[in-house]
Amino acid sequence: MGLLLELAAGGLIAGGIYAVVAMGLNLQYGLMRIMNISHGEFLMLGAYLTWFAHTTFQVNPLLFLPAAAGLLFLLGLAVYGLCFRRIVRTAPSLEVIEARSLLVGFGLMFLVQNAVYLAWGADLQGYSFLTQPVEIAGARFGANRLLVFGFAVGASLALLALLRWTLVGKAVRAMMQSPTGAQLVGIDTGVLHPVVFGAGLALAGVAGALLSMVYVISPSMGEPYTVTALIVITLGGLGSAAGCLVGGLLLGLVEAFGMHYANPSFKMLLSYGVLIAVLIARPQGLFKR
Amino acid sequence: MSDWLRQVLIAAALAGAALATAPWVLGEFEVSLALTILMYVGLAVSWALFCGPTLYLSLATSAFFGIGAYVTAWGLGTLPYAVVVPLGGLAAAAFAALVGAAVLHLRGAYFAVITFGLGELVRHAIAYFEKSYFMTVGRVLTDTPEKTTVYLTVLAIALAAVIAYALVRESRFGLALGGIGADEQRAQTLGVNTRAVKVAGFTLSALFAGMLGAAIAVRWIYLDPPTVFNPFIGFQTVLIAMLGGAHTLLGPIVSAVVFSLFTEFLRLRFPYAYLLVLGTLLIIVVLYLPRGFAQLWEGWRARRDRPARAAESPRA
Amino acid sequence: MPEAVLRAEWVSVSFGGLRAVDGVALEVGPRELVGVIGPNGAGKTTFFHTLSGVLAPTAGRIWVAGADLTGRPAHVFAMHGVARTFQTPRVFRGMSAEDNVRFGLAFAGRRRRHPHDAFDDARSILGFLGLRSEAAVAAGALPPARQRLLEIGMALGARPQVLLLDEVAAGLTESEVQATAKLIARVRSELGLAVIWIEHAVRALLDCVERVVVLHQGRKIADGVPRAVARDPAVVEAYLGIEGEHT
Repeated sequence: MGLLLELAAGGLIAGGIYAVVAMGLNLQYGLMRIMNISHGEFLMLGAYLTWFAHTTFQVNPLLFLPAAAGLLFLLGLAVYGLCFRRIVRTAPSLEVIEARSLLVGFGLMFLVQNAVYLAWGADLQGYSFLTQPVEIAGARFGANRLLVFGFAVGASLALLALLRWTLVGKAVRAMMQSPTGAQLVGIDTGVLHPVVFGAGLALAGVAGALLSMVYVISPSMGEPYTVTALIVITLGGLGSAAGCLVGGLLLGLVEAFGMHYANPSFKMLLSYGVLIAVLIARPQGLFKR
Repeated sequence: MSDWLRQVLIAAALAGAALATAPWVLGEFEVSLALTILMYVGLAVSWALFCGPTLYLSLATSAFFGIGAYVTAWGLGTLPYAVVVPLGGLAAAAFAALVGAAVLHLRGAYFAVITFGLGELVRHAIAYFEKSYFMTVGRVLTDTPEKTTVYLTVLAIALAAVIAYALVRESRFGLALGGIGADEQRAQTLGVNTRAVKVAGFTLSALFAGMLGAAIAVRWIYLDPPTVFNPFIGFQTVLIAMLGGAHTLLGPIVSAVVFSLFTEFLRLRFPYAYLLVLGTLLIIVVLYLPRGFAQLWEGWRARRDRPARAAESPRA
Repeated sequence: MPEAVLRAEWVSVSFGGLRAVDGVALEVGPRELVGVIGPNGAGKTTFFHTLSGVLAPTAGRIWVAGADLTGRPAHVFAMHGVARTFQTPRVFRGMSAEDNVRFGLAFAGRRRRHPHDAFDDARSILGFLGLRSEAAVAAGALPPARQRLLEIGMALGARPQVLLLDEVAAGLTESEVQATAKLIARVRSELGLAVIWIEHAVRALLDCVERVVVLHQGRKIADGVPRAVARDPAVVEAYLGIEGEHT
């Protein structure tokens, strides 16, 4: 029982992070058809900023969370203005937007990753933060892990609430369903697009900051999270934030149990197997009608 | 036979004859560099053969390449190199035909993601299989052929890819691929069996990537799934083709040469700065030259020919 | 009566719970010119999609020249001699007008022969449509009205037996509509094709066809000579009454 609980908890903790990462990407893709393949790099950047603030200026990583979100949001506005605005405006079709944004994403991936290499080197970095164990129902967890899980789920739920009950959130959801319809009712995409893109990066930054509290970080850590985000989006359905939360937690659990009962290479086999099976059988996602 | 096709065939024959002398004229380093260039010429041209006209964005090249390489890894002890190489191509082609039938109805980012995922899936499947049944994570290649043999084989495959590209483009098959890229449903209502054409194009493109993987695998003495299924091989192929202009033949070829030279001379010395520059360059090209560097050349030619062909408009 | 070139038997199409087409039957003989009219959302275009294989009907059967093609993909319909246009012209924008017509000739039209010499090659088809001087122009650079004409040319390139025209007169000026109607009449009389013509601009269509079918809410509510159909009370109520106010 204790083992099952620990496995499940481990899976849910990883899954909570997956959900936050995937939500950011899903917002960007769902709203603007920007397939930002460099999403994981911004997560890595968030992790590095948090690590840097903590080790150099002794800033509490939890207090740095809003700063990481804010910085990445501003970076997102800049990236959107410099790169994606032009693509969205000049591309003749959605397909072309997707293809070009994918390529720009590769470019950003090279840029961000190697900028971090130049700034902080290729070594693994890390710090210890709240590692004392906490015992719940006979299972032991690091306090930092519980905290990370709490913040990840909290951030996801906050986003869901934002989308459901605020005017901006409603506009975003409307536009994911029908871009032309939303334009007809007078939503200003010139403002909404950069803001949503920035919000996507802010979510990646938050996920990275949370990750840095529990795992070691390196400049190449981002890529696997991009792939994971793609899998979660596929599971949960494009444009569905709630699907992301469920899909992320589900994938975390599948991986945790898969890894325990088989071996690590089987875990990846499982993840990709799920991705491809879902893409072929239900490209609209598991949870949509 | 059109003038263009005749020119391509003549150019391929001349270039092939000149390049075939390289092992006897150039030093070992230069030949090795030429081998890399030819590999990327073959990969980029065979990618553009299918993805250029249809506008599909396939990231499956590393899967095809890796499958070919693993055919060599498994077969080279018992079978001769000359058999292993085409076998690698056929294995990749068979894989492409199988998955193509299942996934070619997806388009855009879905297709890009699923082709990338397929490469990773095959890589992890092979890693798992090797570990479970042979208790190994990689393989040491023995009985590898002479360097000259490898070079000439890769040259032949790259030339074959170029010739196949030219023949396809001039054929009804090429016309059908172009129609699918322009408006798939319209092409279907005019009598094109779009599904069959897409699977055939995808398979043909995999044949060359698989042969290249099989031929060049012997370059590594020790071979494991992360090396030969490296997603970067697929990314670089796409980058090369799109930077050069995926709708042209010359674009990807020139781009492969430039890209490989750049990589060779800058990457070793300034690895991070090099990739920074590459990333920036890529973004600028996509934003301002979305049809690749070929766009510059086409723009120049259009200005020169304006009086004659005033109304020609570029396709996105 | 000779064998029908196109026969739809009780064709229905449902999207989710919505019945877009509900048990429509239609038989079109060689060299027949049939108009299909109906208010917006009557299921005209959906019905056309089933006749050309773009959409498989949820129920019913489609026969082309005696062959049951129900559920087969669109290219099989094209091979059996069904060619169509789309509501918004779908030409290959980057190709020249001549290559657009040649596309159909290279595929569906390749093995088919047609006695009329207008079908000899892409140039003669463009000539029949009055587009010969624009042969080298990129299709995307043609004005919309010419693109509609070119799309008919693409369909003729398939050397069909029956031509399906989906609102080819929409958005045209009055004189262009007259010219299009004249052209459609010539396609039937000179080239000998059967033509099914969907249109919203009812007046021009009724003047031109000898048989008209009315669809309303997915059902066929009338089928006959225009003069009789126009007086049918069901039709007047469903369609002409509303439409008459602004045509």
